[in-house]
Amino acid sequence: MDEIKKGNLFSIAGLENVRISIGEIVEEEKEWEPMGPHPMPRIATLRDWDFKLLNRYKPFYAPVCDMCCLCTYGKCDLTGNKKGACGIRMDAQQGRIVLLACLVGCSAHCGHGRHLLHDMIKKFGRDVPIDFGPEVDIEAPLTRLVCGIKPKTIGDYDKVFSYIEEQIVQLADALHTGQEGSYMDFESKALHMGMLDSLNKEAADIIQIACYGMPTSLPGGGPDVPLVDVGIGTIDTNKPVIIVIGHNVPPAADIGVYLTENELDDKVELGGICCTSIDTTRVYKKAKIASALGRQLRVIRAGIADVIVIDEQCIRADILELCQKVHSPLIATNDKAMHGLVDRTDDDPDKIVDDLVSGRVPGVVILEPDQVGEVAVRTALQMDKKRRSLKFILSDDEFKYYVNDCILCGGCTLACPAGLHIGEANQSAATGSIKPLADLFDLCVGCGRCEQVCKKHIPIVDVITKAAYPQLKEEKGRMRIGRGPIWDSEIREVGAPLVLGTIPGIIAPIGCGNYPNGTKDAWLIVKEFAERNYIVTLTGCMAIDCALWKDEEGKTLYEQHHGGFGGGGVLNIGSCVSNAHIHDAAIKVASIFAGRNLRGNYEEIADYILTRVGACGVAWGAMSQKAASIASGFNRLGVPAVVGPHSAKYRRAFLGRADLKEDWKLIDATDGSEVYVEPGPQHLLVACETVEEALPMMAKLCFRPSDTDRGRSGKLTHYIDLNLKYLNTYPPDWHLFVRTASDIPIATRNALLKKLEDEHGWEIDWKMKKIKEGPIRGYDPSFNPTNLERLIRGKK
Amino acid sequence: MEIPFDVANIPGPEMGEVVSPEVIGSYISNAERPLLVVGSEILRDDFFIKIAIEIGKKGIPIAATGHSIRGFVGTEYADNVMYYNLHDLTNCLRDPNWAGLDGKGNYDFVIFFGILYYYASQMLSCIKNFATDPLIRAVSIDRYYHPNARMSFTNITPRREEEYRDMLKRLVKSIRGRQK
Repeated sequence: MDEIKKGNLFSIAGLENVRISIGEIVEEEKEWEPMGPHPMPRIATLRDWDFKLLNRYKPFYAPVCDMCCLCTYGKCDLTGNKKGACGIRMDAQQGRIVLLACLVGCSAHCGHGRHLLHDMIKKFGRDVPIDFGPEVDIEAPLTRLVCGIKPKTIGDYDKVFSYIEEQIVQLADALHTGQEGSYMDFESKALHMGMLDSLNKEAADIIQIACYGMPTSLPGGGPDVPLVDVGIGTIDTNKPVIIVIGHNVPPAADIGVYLTENELDDKVELGGICCTSIDTTRVYKKAKIASALGRQLRVIRAGIADVIVIDEQCIRADILELCQKVHSPLIATNDKAMHGLVDRTDDDPDKIVDDLVSGRVPGVVILEPDQVGEVAVRTALQMDKKRRSLKFILSDDEFKYYVNDCILCGGCTLACPAGLHIGEANQSAATGSIKPLADLFDLCVGCGRCEQVCKKHIPIVDVITKAAYPQLKEEKGRMRIGRGPIWDSEIREVGAPLVLGTIPGIIAPIGCGNYPNGTKDAWLIVKEFAERNYIVTLTGCMAIDCALWKDEEGKTLYEQHHGGFGGGGVLNIGSCVSNAHIHDAAIKVASIFAGRNLRGNYEEIADYILTRVGACGVAWGAMSQKAASIASGFNRLGVPAVVGPHSAKYRRAFLGRADLKEDWKLIDATDGSEVYVEPGPQHLLVACETVEEALPMMAKLCFRPSDTDRGRSGKLTHYIDLNLKYLNTYPPDWHLFVRTASDIPIATRNALLKKLEDEHGWEIDWKMKKIKEGPIRGYDPSFNPTNLERLIRGKK
Repeated sequence: MEIPFDVANIPGPEMGEVVSPEVIGSYISNAERPLLVVGSEILRDDFFIKIAIEIGKKGIPIAATGHSIRGFVGTEYADNVMYYNLHDLTNCLRDPNWAGLDGKGNYDFVIFFGILYYYASQMLSCIKNFATDPLIRAVSIDRYYHPNARMSFTNITPRREEEYRDMLKRLVKSIRGRQK
């Protein structure tokens, strides 16, 4: 090996038969911040932090199924916390199922992100820079925090996904029979999965923002992102209509490109359902949002789509059958959801279009995103002509027939997830009043289970849609397109008010549409908090659903409120993966406002957020496994969440006990002293029965031990006021959050001091207007709360 | 077999028994520390609030969950009802050392009334599976069959509303009053 010859590549004499492959050139990362203690944490790395959370917010289990059916020892009856044949108890089994749900959710985001990365590297190369403009310096807070990496190009995300994938496999391994047996450890793993999930989401959104030029802090981005049409009534059915469904935007983006390149922007409607629709509006200006997830079945059944394009996640499993019924050809673009169709990737577009338009095939698979646009648009143009005369909304006569045919057996009600009394509404329509039936449209979650049990084969979903059709045609809202990252400059502005409590909190409505009482709840939640100067950051279906409702002047909340990350802002952050930017905003508060290092420093930042940043998520209609992993990701980072009543079916909550003093002991990092504090936030994950109950609960979960007296006074004002407004009474625990008289709102201070004296036995110095005795602790402005002993600066 | 109100909600081998109002009334009368837990569905008609108050007047404390507390504000019984989040309350119930609403300890018999079906079902499941030592019996007096309750009414359609109201009246009548 003494000679190196130059050839096409090079050869080394004597090693002609040796093949050398260079996988990756690892450049030493420039030192940008000292590495923290936990870069790329493994399963057990953050277990101590998890146990701190889990000991305060103990896992609460409500089994959906009392049995375990996962191995051949079983079925095992675990009722009453019995052990199964393998030795697992009911509580651990529930933790196991929660971990399984989080695994599925996290894998969906990871699979999506990895898929996106492959497609983007193929299309744009590895070196697409991650540069979000002059106002975003901390481009990837979660990536920095969890991985210790400062990504410069999308190619850097290869190693991030490799880390996540390895962790997912290790966590999945723990689910096997004969592995983990402790519910606490299952929950620690679920929290780990949740953290990975948040990282997935950030990675996926950063990649698509970087590659597609989605809004950032460049002109027209951030608070200034444009508004877009929302609602089935906004889709112009006089044109050919393409409906995209799912979460992975490249195929829809290609449709937009094809429309523009062929000057068809004004001739073809591109609308969408669920998160793909949100992301499509970030890349294609003419796109519209037909609906959120809850309307999927009904939008398809309405037959407005001349072609339907699906990618991944939240697509109905019977999508092909539904499409066939309304003669809408289906194009599946992702190998995770192919629905039995033939893969026609790389086939001649002429042949594919011809097969679809002629009806020879009901749909096709096209796995190359850049081949989807042409086929979808050309198919839609031709199908529009063929389908124009078809009607899919029931005729008046059909409607009348069906409502009269109902025999009030009640089977539909028993099958309905919401227990809607459909038969009685049918009866009312049969006797001339269709309002009760029309009112069901928004309450219905659009699953279609009712139709399968109807003894008279009434197409119940269609009957309800027919009754509500006049309103449906007028369902025309407006929302901001997804803005992506919160700017560093915005964090600088609001960091202090948030931590000190003068902006009462961040409310983050996210997730699916399995609401207990229709979409208007989403609107009410946003309205109530935006009007109270909270920062409201939305993503996903709640971002869409709240845009369906308007005030008396016909304005939606997005039109009434500014889109900046400040008090009173109503921000559409984007799709499900974009909600990582809500984590990021809290992380940036710790970094920019408090100067904490992020790099590999998850535990410290989560501790900071839990004790100081008054943020509360709300997933009022959470439905999917992704929602389980998303919530777990928020929870590990110290952000509590309120969920709707259906979410009790996730089996697990994280509930604090206000009555157990020992659970609320913190450390003052300044001198190491132990301080018993008020229960703030009291819960990490809690369900409410109604929106009236949820509103005050969200305000309550924004209390933090670090609140200044001024900030606490503001939070207390909203907490008490929301209770009085929606529950008609004072909250029974408001006194727990009073540390000093100046914590009490000035306007009501005397009256509330009197209540403290009369109802809670507190001792008040009326001359000085001070509290002499009663609170859990006094107010100490220098209190530096932490849960972590290692952060103590000096011992007392 | 009785069909759960949400037809697929079949939890396992132990499913609640359908019983008459008088049977539940008898159990309530014989319980040492019963608790009535009401939910937001009682707000659909003053009748249900009155029924809850009637039960309360028999010396049984009331935890008002959801936003049901609104139904009691302004009534002569307002001071004897306490708001509790249902998740929070159920979490306390599974703790034998919980002090209860009155500081005198946990309960041995819990009556669910007017709570959204699926939320109630999950909380009943928690009590069934984890409030076992000492045992808390949880029953439902809603118009749904609740398999996770130890005892429940059957499913009662809106057409049989009057029958349901009559059952509730019979239940109240059958509860023996106790010292508060």
